[in-house]
Amino acid sequence: MDLALQLLFTGIGIGAVYALVALGFVLIFRATNVVNFAQGEFSMVAAYLMVVAVEAGLPYWAAFIVALLGMALLGVVFNLGVYYPLRHRTYLPVIIATIGASILLANSVLAIYGPQPQVLEGWFETPGIQVGPVYLDSQYLLIIGVTICLVVFNFWFFEKTLLGKKLQATSQDKEMASLLGISVSTMIMITFIYSAVLGGLAGILVAPVLFVSIQMGSTIALKAFAATIIGGFGDVAGAIIGGLALGVIETFGAAYISVPYKDGFAFLVLIAFLIFRPQGIFGERVAEKA
Amino acid sequence: MKLTRRDFATGIAAGIAAPYLIKSANAQGATIKIGMCAPVTGPAAESGGYAIKGAKLALEAVNKAGGILGKQGELIVEDDQTTNPGIVLAFSKLASQPDIVGFLGSIRSTQVHAMAPDVIKLGKPVMIGGTDPNLTHMGNQWLFRCRPNDSYSGRVIAEYGVSTLAKKKWAVLHSTDAFGTAGGKALTEALTKLGAPPVLDQGYANQSQDFTPVVLAIKQSGADILGSYFTFENDLGIFARQLRQLGVNIPWVGSPSIVNITALKLAGPALYNTYGVADYAEDSSEGSKAFGKIYRDAVKVAPDNQSSWTFDAINVLSAAINKAGSTDSGKIREAILATKKFAGAEGEYNFDQNGDGLHGYNIVKNEKGNITFDKHIEFND
Repeated sequence: MDLALQLLFTGIGIGAVYALVALGFVLIFRATNVVNFAQGEFSMVAAYLMVVAVEAGLPYWAAFIVALLGMALLGVVFNLGVYYPLRHRTYLPVIIATIGASILLANSVLAIYGPQPQVLEGWFETPGIQVGPVYLDSQYLLIIGVTICLVVFNFWFFEKTLLGKKLQATSQDKEMASLLGISVSTMIMITFIYSAVLGGLAGILVAPVLFVSIQMGSTIALKAFAATIIGGFGDVAGAIIGGLALGVIETFGAAYISVPYKDGFAFLVLIAFLIFRPQGIFGERVAEKA
Repeated sequence: MKLTRRDFATGIAAGIAAPYLIKSANAQGATIKIGMCAPVTGPAAESGGYAIKGAKLALEAVNKAGGILGKQGELIVEDDQTTNPGIVLAFSKLASQPDIVGFLGSIRSTQVHAMAPDVIKLGKPVMIGGTDPNLTHMGNQWLFRCRPNDSYSGRVIAEYGVSTLAKKKWAVLHSTDAFGTAGGKALTEALTKLGAPPVLDQGYANQSQDFTPVVLAIKQSGADILGSYFTFENDLGIFARQLRQLGVNIPWVGSPSIVNITALKLAGPALYNTYGVADYAEDSSEGSKAFGKIYRDAVKVAPDNQSSWTFDAINVLSAAINKAGSTDSGKIREAILATKKFAGAEGEYNFDQNGDGLHGYNIVKNEKGNITFDKHIEFND
């Protein structure tokens, strides 16, 4: 039982990271109908920005704000440079452009900062606390807390605010939203900014656990992408549940079946969903939606 | 002027022969070229940078001392991207240059396995750092190892843990690639021979983000000592931190990556008081000390095996070419195999007929981040 509790906590912690990145995938998909394969690199860039800001002597909280502002700026540049010029094309060129952008981001950071992995200290001086038989890593506690806050915030933002409703309207039907006086391009710009900040937040939060490296984004993004499919592509709640489920499944699978095939469990679940429920947990069939 | 039939025939012959003569002239060009596959990008890019610096420092010294066959040595580096397809591509690019007389391969066994078939086809000497014992025992006569192989590291880890630390309940942890699998197997065999078969033999996939299940398995196994073979320092750093956080404080003797500069930086205090088998230990010999001084002066960081093996590889290869007196691959091969009592940064090289140059390991300890030399264990087989 002690073992299961420890595994559950760790699984939820790592799953929360997948969920944060998956949220970015979902928001951009809802707004533009394309998958942004550079979402993982947003996490990596933010972690490096944070390292640079801390090394420059900024207090941790200030470095955090600077890194997130940097990500907001990256969201603007990404929208204008990658999505906007291709917005009238089919989804395929846009997806390929995001793959190209992800390679460009990774290699740019490599060229500027070098290949050395970096250590980013966590928010807390205490690395964790022991609660009975379970060790609670303070960074994972923070990640879980932030994820819960974001679930609440997203619900409030998208359901209760005018801006959130405008974003929802844009994602559901751009032409109708435009006819109703909503600036579609502005809404898409806001979506890219928010997604870049979300991806960045995930990167900054997970950096003290996984270290800061060029590869960190792609590793997380692959699992986050699987999480969005499991949860239901395009569904915010699905991304959260999918991410958490994936984290827990792979952790328990590693502990009770096989450690070397840990990644295999995650992708087995993904394949099973693609075969038996391709719309994911919360997704609707397209025919039903119509 | 009248063009005779003989003039015409001579002209045609010269035209046909010219490209070959030019190519041959290039092959005997102003420099002696050595190719190097190194991870400039990818997860091992940092250690790749150290490897290139080690090779360049050696070549600088060789050139200052008169060069190779009276010419200056030149290093041609290709990025292997830290992947198997990457090193195959990098090696094929280098192999297509006929004036390259010898090569430096990878420190990663899995990459050396990937390039090995092309090495046989090319038939030129390739110095390697991969420690999977099979690499020099699978009939490839062109691979020459400048690090001790894992049959030695497994025996040294087992011997030190059982005899010196007096621990018999072992957990063996290793990556599931060629390096980790071979290392884990060698350690398990050595422990079994010493009457201490492991209570846990656990593999893990490279680039794991979480080691909680592994740490809990070690905890549950009741092991009183841990032996490890980690391929990537990122994995080692994450594991070390989680091991300590989850309250596992048993002695730990690891393969050389446990004392790598990158691992020490990432894991920090989580690696304090651990032991490592190290092919390079600065205080282990006069050659090691000399390399340490050269490297610190030039690079301003502490040396480790990433740079020491390439430093030695260039020195051994250059000396062998000079001894052979020719760039003929067969003669260079014979000269490398005849290399005995050659003082390198990693120790004394005595090549056997398989192409293994070193036959022992150092035991070092991490004392609050400083790596201190304990002892060297040499084998005669």
